[in-house]
Amino acid sequence: MQGEALANTEDFGGADPVTGPARAALAGRDAPYAKYDLGRAYDEMFAPDGKPRPPYIALDSRLTSLALEELVRRQQACEQSFLHQGITFTVYSDNQATERIIPTDLLPRIVTAGEWERIERGLTQRITALNLFLRDIYGDGRVLKDGIVPREMIYGSKHYRREMRGLPVPHGSYVNICGSDLVRNEAGDFVVLEDNLRVPSGVSYMLANRDVARRAFPGVFRSMNVRPIEHYPLELLATLRALAPFEQDVSIAVLTPGVFNSAYFEHAFLARQMGVELVEGRDLLVNDNVVYTRTTSGLKRIDVIYRRIDDDFIDPLIFREDSSLGVSGLFNAYRAGNVVIANALGTGVADDKAIYAYVPRLIRYYLSEEPVLDNVETFLCREDKALAHVLANLDKLVVKAVGESGGYGMLVGPHASQAERDTFAQKLKADPENYIAQPTIQLSTAPTFVGDGVEARHVDLRPFILTGTETKIVPGALTRVALKRGSLVVNSSQGGGSKDTWVLSR
Amino acid sequence: MLSRVADSLYWMSRYVERAEHTARVMAVKLESMVEQQPEDARASWARVVEALQDTHWNDLPQDAPAITKRLVFDRENESSLLASLSFARDNARQVREALSNEVWGNLNRLYLHLSGVQADAIWVHSPAILFRDVLDEMQGLEGVTYSTLSHGEGWYFLELGKYIERVQLLGRMLDVHFRQGGVAPKYFDWLVLLKFCTAFEPYTKLYTASIKPQKIAEFLLFDPEFPHSIRFSIDRVTEALARVAPGAPPARRASVERLAGRLKASVDFGQIDELMSGGIATFLSDITRQCEKIHEALFASYITYGAETVL
Repeated sequence: MQGEALANTEDFGGADPVTGPARAALAGRDAPYAKYDLGRAYDEMFAPDGKPRPPYIALDSRLTSLALEELVRRQQACEQSFLHQGITFTVYSDNQATERIIPTDLLPRIVTAGEWERIERGLTQRITALNLFLRDIYGDGRVLKDGIVPREMIYGSKHYRREMRGLPVPHGSYVNICGSDLVRNEAGDFVVLEDNLRVPSGVSYMLANRDVARRAFPGVFRSMNVRPIEHYPLELLATLRALAPFEQDVSIAVLTPGVFNSAYFEHAFLARQMGVELVEGRDLLVNDNVVYTRTTSGLKRIDVIYRRIDDDFIDPLIFREDSSLGVSGLFNAYRAGNVVIANALGTGVADDKAIYAYVPRLIRYYLSEEPVLDNVETFLCREDKALAHVLANLDKLVVKAVGESGGYGMLVGPHASQAERDTFAQKLKADPENYIAQPTIQLSTAPTFVGDGVEARHVDLRPFILTGTETKIVPGALTRVALKRGSLVVNSSQGGGSKDTWVLSR
Repeated sequence: MLSRVADSLYWMSRYVERAEHTARVMAVKLESMVEQQPEDARASWARVVEALQDTHWNDLPQDAPAITKRLVFDRENESSLLASLSFARDNARQVREALSNEVWGNLNRLYLHLSGVQADAIWVHSPAILFRDVLDEMQGLEGVTYSTLSHGEGWYFLELGKYIERVQLLGRMLDVHFRQGGVAPKYFDWLVLLKFCTAFEPYTKLYTASIKPQKIAEFLLFDPEFPHSIRFSIDRVTEALARVAPGAPPARRASVERLAGRLKASVDFGQIDELMSGGIATFLSDITRQCEKIHEALFASYITYGAETVL
């Protein structure tokens, strides 16, 4: 990243006094933690007695020795750097386009080697089962015949693509790039909250946040054996290459909806880091079922497309005809086997919030193994008993519409007013199959710099899982932070921020 | 290279060139303003406005702050400095992956800097300072463009944008000074013209400090070595055309290169004596028209061509 954030900071390059006097600060008492609440939730940094947990001791020692103004300065340098690099998204209102940065917190979230080992094993198991499930429902439908998953949940899903039936995908990998959301429950265990199997985003923030935290706490970083994540673009490139039917001169492109998309920075970033073309729909054309880009020297064939456009918009001939983002004829080229699209089309059927409830059963069914990572307890409102339970306990539950993402269409019961709950109950009764409910999980909290000190904020964890011939997970993740005190909503579209995640090598 | 990327690089570069030209003209104009009598100053402002704007202003404001506001800060005015920078940045953002961090970072910071300036605040001290600062930053941008990008096809599209725009800007600047009619430029205006084109020192090295309109015209039109001469710029256009779209079919390339060859010949063999007897306005408008044709041929051959023509 750029030099301006490095200016006048002698200790950015030098050593931090991480091994200074061991002044174990107490959460809720000592500066800078005077307003640090240890609530019901598991706290990443502090044990219930208010003392820092072992992986956080070095960070604690640095934080208690740093002047508050220094933290403020580092925070500002980081924001400045994001703004200058154009790591922004654009908010449109009153004909005015305002560029905002996604707030980044300086303080790293730490995951121990043991915790990571389990996460990695659990997510690999999960994506393996989900890919087998997708192959099954677009193939023989064994899982439906065996009655593991109700047929209507698949064929009735708006994300089921009957055009994909019987169409083989390379290595049986439908989901090549997955971003799963994990949370840590009150007992301190990581559980899966959601699988994002369509076009998950955020990996560029994982990488950008590393620069931020490493620059803010270089000495702590060096002392902790944090595993590197910078090779993510290389792994992504290898995964995409592995999808082509041949090995030499594979021509790869990242397909973006364009500069107005909120994740455009990420699309451009990944294309640049991988050294492949970034294309928009208007750059591509299909002739005789072959996909080309228009270049200054003529047409150039494209073999693999990493698409960052939803299924619906990818080909106006097959899906939404009003889409101007996609490419006419792309699906036929795909069907003809002349181009690979990653992720495959139709993966959304498996990250539906209702299918989510079945994933542990799918793991047992396809792999004959017990799930390494648990789900959050989930009530399927389609089932009468569950619906009755949900309606009776709306004040304790989070209710989500199954087809939505990004925090839309959901009710956080304990935080809603009685009127909001009543309105939602009507929607539930009218269309129960469209909803699931989960107990409000107290997402774990992590130390977050809030301007006049360090406070506890709720966080989740989104690692990125790559699957070509095999599954690879770069040891890192996007940790999303609910920046509002007490809030459980971490989505960036709803006021969330993010921070770096340090996975330790031992 | 993707046609769309070439398109954006070309336009980004044109807008950067236009922004730099505007900043330089504004800096020089504001610095020299204090030395002129009111009627001369007004004639001089009128020339500046006409040289910098695509469209004619029927309502030239009376005072320098109002003119500056429109030439520099008015986003509604598509030729203003801020609008040019904004267009340049929009184009750069669309090809972010084709640029280096340094190029994007410099351009983005420059835009953020200027868009944060209050138009009225620059008059508290010397207003030219802002434009000198902007020019410093633009030279930084030019430096990293040269030193951090590979000098491959994309870079040559940047060159094309820069020098095609420069020919147009120089052409307009010369036209408003050399055309017949209106208030004739005085000695001081010729001096300022050289400074508008960052040409004062190079000119005096060649012709001494004797400021003569004919020598100025000769220098800015035909000098083969000065970067802000029309001939130098056309040479760069010709060179760049030979380096873009290496794999394009010969017929397609020829349609662009033929036009460039013709343009080059007209400045290589131009005679200043002939022009000074009245033909300079025609000559300049001919050069400008030829540039527009090259621009159109460039797009038709490499960027907007129909797929049916190659399949």
